[in-house]
Order: sequence, then structure tokens, then C-alpha cells
Amino acid sequence: MRKRRVLLVDDEVSLTRSLALYLEECGGCEVRAENVGSRAVAAARAFDPDVIVLDIVMPDADGGAIAAELAADPKLGQTPVVFLTALVSQRETGGATQRIGGRPFLAKPLDPDVVLAAVEKYARR
Amino acid sequence: MQGTAKRTVPLRGLGLSLLAVAGAGVAVALWPEALLQEQLLASVLALVPAFLLAYYRGWARVSVLLGIGMATLTVLRLLAIFVGEPFGTFPLVLILVAPYVAIALGAGWFGEVRRSAAHLRSTQLQLIQSEKLESMGRLAAGVAHEVKNPLMTILTAVKVLAKRVPDADPAGRQLVQDIIEAVGRADTIVGGLLSYSRQQELSPAPVDLNATLERSLVLVKHDLDQRRIAIVKELDASLPRLDLDEIKIQQVFIDLITNALHAMGERGTLTLRTLRARPIPAGRRRASGAPAGGSVVVEIDDTGPGIPEPLLRKVFDPFFTTKPTGVGTGLGLSVSRQIVEMHGGTIGIANRETGGARVTLGFGVARREQEYAETAGAAG
Repeated sequence: MRKRRVLLVDDEVSLTRSLALYLEECGGCEVRAENVGSRAVAAARAFDPDVIVLDIVMPDADGGAIAAELAADPKLGQTPVVFLTALVSQRETGGATQRIGGRPFLAKPLDPDVVLAAVEKYARR
Repeated sequence: MQGTAKRTVPLRGLGLSLLAVAGAGVAVALWPEALLQEQLLASVLALVPAFLLAYYRGWARVSVLLGIGMATLTVLRLLAIFVGEPFGTFPLVLILVAPYVAIALGAGWFGEVRRSAAHLRSTQLQLIQSEKLESMGRLAAGVAHEVKNPLMTILTAVKVLAKRVPDADPAGRQLVQDIIEAVGRADTIVGGLLSYSRQQELSPAPVDLNATLERSLVLVKHDLDQRRIAIVKELDASLPRLDLDEIKIQQVFIDLITNALHAMGERGTLTLRTLRARPIPAGRRRASGAPAGGSVVVEIDDTGPGIPEPLLRKVFDPFFTTKPTGVGTGLGLSVSRQIVEMHGGTIGIANRETGGARVTLGFGVARREQEYAETAGAAG
């Protein structure tokens, strides 16, 4: 069976490293991390992920703009995106039920189990 | 508390007046016949005990007024000796009573001055507090964002490590658990900071405060169920609906109730009270800023140990907490105050005479209704 392919886009190298390890070891996912926001779309085209976990605030790119670019891409338009943000608190997100532009978002810091659950819930089958 | 202080000075002045008039009457009655002509001197001497009493009780303003009265009478007496009776002969009672009437009126006037000064001081404090909160808010948002990323790195990494620590290593597993809990605590504080920095906008709509209180109680049910706390509700069913942001006001109620529960510990009585302060009749003078249509008051009483007097002034400061490390962020009351003041309301905390603390919230009625009517009028 093909592993779930997860693209993590976040400028925090240490975070993507540990999160990738967790998703691979505990979730059996195949993970690629991209730490430069402006390269996210190219990374997605190359990797063809089942779900993209995308940070909203990055030094060189805005997660919202990246999501819009992904949505406009013929190949990636249907790829689910889960936003990850430090802009709001856990209480405000209400778990993963809140949405920005129709996409779920998760508030940092969160248990990697919650990220894994979101990946399993939203990943393209 | 404040109301009591406001009444104290005039009552003291009046009580002192009556006491001294009685003393003066006794003095004059016992005065030697020959000295009865010395009415002015008699009245000066009659003021002496009152002056001493006021002086030793520390009633500075009353003693100043008595001193002025004595000095005036002395001057009149000296004028009488060297110039002759400038105003003819005064009836004795008038001479004795007049200074005290002046004192009573003066004390009342001082009360007004003191109230105005207190109001000014309170406004200044609010201004300082407001500026402090604003800069804190900007700082908080930045800090919160920057802290959350490393927190998540720690949390994720420790979760990865947790999978590698064998069950046979309880000390190792405990360390992992300690790190996870520490991250949770830090996240609670950061979450509080974010809430704190995001109090700028209101979405007001007519709100039934009694219903909001009831809903808040439901939301702290988990905390309540862990204790033996009796709930007393004294809710005034005739409250008008107020134009408030219910979510934010509910947040305030939840924070205040939670504080009360933490203060009481395992058992106690939580009293939630709403009442409507009477509207001030048209044409009657009212204190500056007081709503003409009265106000709605919410009181939350607990039966905990109360708050030490020196700390009462600090409880609304950001990061001030009396709770143990990890239990409170020190932002709850500060955020509550910010929210209440955004609504044009007031919040105060005091110790109750019967024990425990009381938080009192006040929301003006007329102003809000008026604003609502004006908005509706403008829209129409």
C-alpha cells in the first residue's frame, strides 16, 4: 500500500525535522520538508503530496498566497492544505474545526498526534 | 467602600460641630458672670477642645477649619478691644454656632473636592493602565508568535523521543512527561498573551447578562464538579438588555468565576448577583460620568481568604498572580478589565466584611441605550 505523502512547509527547520520524523515513525507517512516558503509550490509539483501542511507566516512568503497559487495550479488544485499557524491560540481554533478560505487550520504549538490526525483526515486518498 | 469614605468627612464635621456646641454651651453656662461679656473669647475657648480632638484624630482639614474659626474670632476680639465692636454685639448662640455650620459645610465641600481629586486620580491611573496595556498587547502578539514555533519543536521532538524511551525506564518517561507538561504551561501563557493582544474589536449586540452568567457557569462545570462549592444566584429578572459583546463578557465571567473557585479551594459558596442601580431622576445633579439611566451591576462573591490589602491595587496588573506557578498566567483579571473598559464599564475588587472577595462589574444603561437609539436613528 502506498504511503501517505505529506509535504511540510515551515521555515522552522528543527520543527519540520522532528515533525517529519514523527509522521514517518508513528504515522507511516512519507514526508518531505520545505523550509523556504517561496519554493513550496515547486516542491509540491515535484513531490505530488496527498496533503500539504503549510505554515502561514514565513519570512519570504505568505502561506495564504502559497495556498492560492496551489489552488490555481492544474496539477495541485485538488491537493488538500492544512494551515499551521502561531498567530492564533488553540482555544481559538477549536481543534481543527476552524477554517481559513475553506481550509482547516491548526494552532501551534500542538501535539504531533493532532497533526497526524489532521493528515489522516484530510489527505487525498 | 468608596461611598462610605465619601460620607465620612461631612458626618464627622457635623458630629464634631454638635459636640463642640454642646461643650461651648456647658462652658458658657459655667462661665463667671463677669466674663459673659467676653462672648468672643468664650467661643474661642469653646473651640479649643474641638480643635484638639480633630488634631489628635488626624482630621487635618477639620482642624484647619477650626483653626481658621478660632483665628477669625480672635481677630474679631482684638478688633473689639482696639477699634471697638465692628459689627455690634453678636448674639452668643450665633457666634458659637456659625463656625460649626461653616465647618460642616466646609467639610462637605472638602468631600466634593476629595471626590473630584479621587476621580481625577482614578482617570490618570486608567490612562496609564490603558497605555501600559496597549504596549503590552503589541509586545505580547510578537512574543507569542515567536515562542510558539520553538514550543512546537520541543513538543514534537519530545514526542519522538518518548517513543524511544522504553517502558522499563520510568525515570526517562517521567522526564519526557515533565517536558510535555512544561510546554503545556508555556503554551497556556502564550495563549493568554495572544488573547490579551486581541481585545481591540467588539461585536456588540443586545445581551441578557443573567443568561450570560448562567452560560458561563455551565462552561466552568468541570471545575465546579471537582469541588464542593454551593452556588447562590441572586439574579434580577428585570435587567434591561445591554449592548455588549457577549463572547468577550462571557470570557470575563468565566475568568472571574474561575478565580473565585481557585480562591475557595475545595469548598465554599459562590454568589452571583445582578441588580439594577436606580436611574437618577432628570434634573438631579449626578457625578461626572455616571449614566443618567442608572447601571447594571454584577457582583461575584467568594468565601475564600480574600486578597491582602497591599495586593488589591496590583491584581489588575498584567502577569500579577497569587496562584501557584503553572496555575495562573496573571493575565486573567488584566484581560477582564480591558474587556470591561472597552464596553465603557467598570470593574473593581474588594474584600467583603464577612470574608472572601467581591468583584463588582458595572455597565451603564442609559448611555448604551442612547447609543443604540442613535445608531438605529442614523441607520433609519
